[in-house]
Amino acid sequence: MNYEWDVAVNKAILNNSPKVNKILEENPYIKDIADELRNVKNKVLDNIDEYIEKTEESVKKTGGHFHLAKNADEAMSMVKEIIKERTKIVVSKSNVLYEIKLRDEMEKEGKDIWETDLGEYLVQINKDMPSHMVAPAIHLTKDKIGKLLNEDLDKNINENSSAEDMVKSVRKFLMEKYLAAEVGITGANSVAADTGSVLLIENEGNIRMDTVLPEIHIAITGIDKIVPTLKDAFNEVIVQASYAGFYPPTYINVTSGPSATGDIELQRVSPATGPKEFHLIVLDNGRKEAINSEIRDSLLCIRCGRCYFSCPSYKLYGKDFGDSPYTGPTGIMWSAVTMKKYDKAMLCMHSGGCKEVCPMKIDIPKVIEKIKFRYIDS
Amino acid sequence: MEINKPMIKKMKDMIFQNLMESYLPFPLDTKLYSSWATDIPEGGETVFYTSYMYQISGILKRYESLFPKIYKLNIPRRLMTASKFLIKPNSDELERSFNILKSIKSMLLKNNLKFGYLYDKEPYSGALLLESGFLNEYKEYGKKLYNFFNENGIKRIITVDPHTTNALKRYKDFIDFDIDVINYLDLVNFKGTGNYVIHDSCLYSRSMDMYNSIRNKINGSGIKLNENYLITSKEMGSCCGGPLSLISNKDSEDISKSRAEKLLSVNENVLVMCPLCYQNLSPYINNIKDIAEVVS
Repeated sequence: MNYEWDVAVNKAILNNSPKVNKILEENPYIKDIADELRNVKNKVLDNIDEYIEKTEESVKKTGGHFHLAKNADEAMSMVKEIIKERTKIVVSKSNVLYEIKLRDEMEKEGKDIWETDLGEYLVQINKDMPSHMVAPAIHLTKDKIGKLLNEDLDKNINENSSAEDMVKSVRKFLMEKYLAAEVGITGANSVAADTGSVLLIENEGNIRMDTVLPEIHIAITGIDKIVPTLKDAFNEVIVQASYAGFYPPTYINVTSGPSATGDIELQRVSPATGPKEFHLIVLDNGRKEAINSEIRDSLLCIRCGRCYFSCPSYKLYGKDFGDSPYTGPTGIMWSAVTMKKYDKAMLCMHSGGCKEVCPMKIDIPKVIEKIKFRYIDS
Repeated sequence: MEINKPMIKKMKDMIFQNLMESYLPFPLDTKLYSSWATDIPEGGETVFYTSYMYQISGILKRYESLFPKIYKLNIPRRLMTASKFLIKPNSDELERSFNILKSIKSMLLKNNLKFGYLYDKEPYSGALLLESGFLNEYKEYGKKLYNFFNENGIKRIITVDPHTTNALKRYKDFIDFDIDVINYLDLVNFKGTGNYVIHDSCLYSRSMDMYNSIRNKINGSGIKLNENYLITSKEMGSCCGGPLSLISNKDSEDISKSRAEKLLSVNENVLVMCPLCYQNLSPYINNIKDIAEVVS
């Protein structure tokens, strides 16, 4: 057992699990909208092509560009086509961006690309992979972070610096990157088919910068993030944030097309202050195939990350339980859906806590049972 | 963590072949393991069913450690036959398991339940196949098992451990299996004393949703329970590490040790309901008891 990881994960559990319980107790409506969300997500999965089409129409109506990518390579080509020669890029934490290996590809091409979520930035400078979908750097202790920042960013910071000073130093660095960025790339926590809106939830304020300051905003997400209406999209982000332990969330960003103004004779003029281009790339990458399979329920997952802390295998193996960024119980499902990787399912002990805490009531152990079978049978 | 797929596949083939030939996952001295019962009628519509889990729980790890050797040395399966005489629980382990089964039998009788027993003809449940993801083999063996129960006129099975209960209940998800399966904890009421922390069986408490019913019975029995949300709740309670032992014995033991430490931080007396949980946790806990050892 890795002692450093054991300490880190137990601290995270202690900080997170009681907090989530308190949020759910004080706001009983959240469980109701979670149930509602499960129903609408199932409805979308039953009619996925129809909802993708509807999303496309809605995005175009807002003046945005819609792209459907069959796989990671196709998504990457679309990104390159949109970015062209632009070099300065800021990105916000997204598992789908890892799925298409966005940062690796951009770095290979010599682009100046920076993660702007603090945890993800730390993972980037540590040349590492995330250990949790929502909290990517929980495996890094404050000491380690101090050393990292000292080596990579600011000689005034070290392992004895306060967390406040560490954050301040990163903030200063990223502020320059935001102001210079030509392209902002984000994921999406939900996409409303009826309005073409992309919703993003956060606490740091980085996503707000990423989506507003650069002239181009590209949102890349899985087709599983589409929900029928803007109301459903709000429900999804509220449920996700609450089950991740953040309620109320500091920021909910809604993007429906590029920036615009109607201040001159109420005539719509685009762009205004924000981006002049908005692109939504929705990625299939195994998801449609999964809809028609025995692991379909994987796609109901909203990636709140709560299941990680109820899982003995994650507590033992950390990010080795799954294929990063898709780790933990939900990561076993997403690794199967998007990478067709099944081996780590064998490390599941069917403890079942994951099922108990899942807001979408996914019977995760039963899905993993099917993934184990795929591994054995393949 | 490296997963040895060829070894797992060989293990699957070996277990499956054994089951299809003898209703046992590996050679077992069924006469010995059924000798705890002498006065239960043989067979009948309702049977008391052990699947040998309590009796062999103490030697499972030894069987598990045999698999890598069999795989490495490519030992023919038939040579495993001798293992039933070589790998046996010690007399204390065997006596303890017999006493637990007798206690469960006694509780069922006091609750006016009538049942028979299959003695040394009792087949294994197939739990190992299901829990390892060997689903095709689980289905195939399930059909054979169903026919066996039908041919013997069995309509209701009273199970005594979580793995067997889960395996038999889950058959209906895969095949026609219209035999009533019920766990003894759903049938009996009991009395007890003492102060304990429960280590839940993951299968009982979460897979089969018995968390509350078990606690209600224990709380009503006179036993006092200590709880800690992060350690014993339905959401946060954790595994004993047992299911991992086929993949990595060391990792399985790490989980067992860590789980034991957490339980001991709640109470020094630990209550379990599964023979495998007992085996995995007992090296690290002085006072650990099966529920059937502390109630009557």
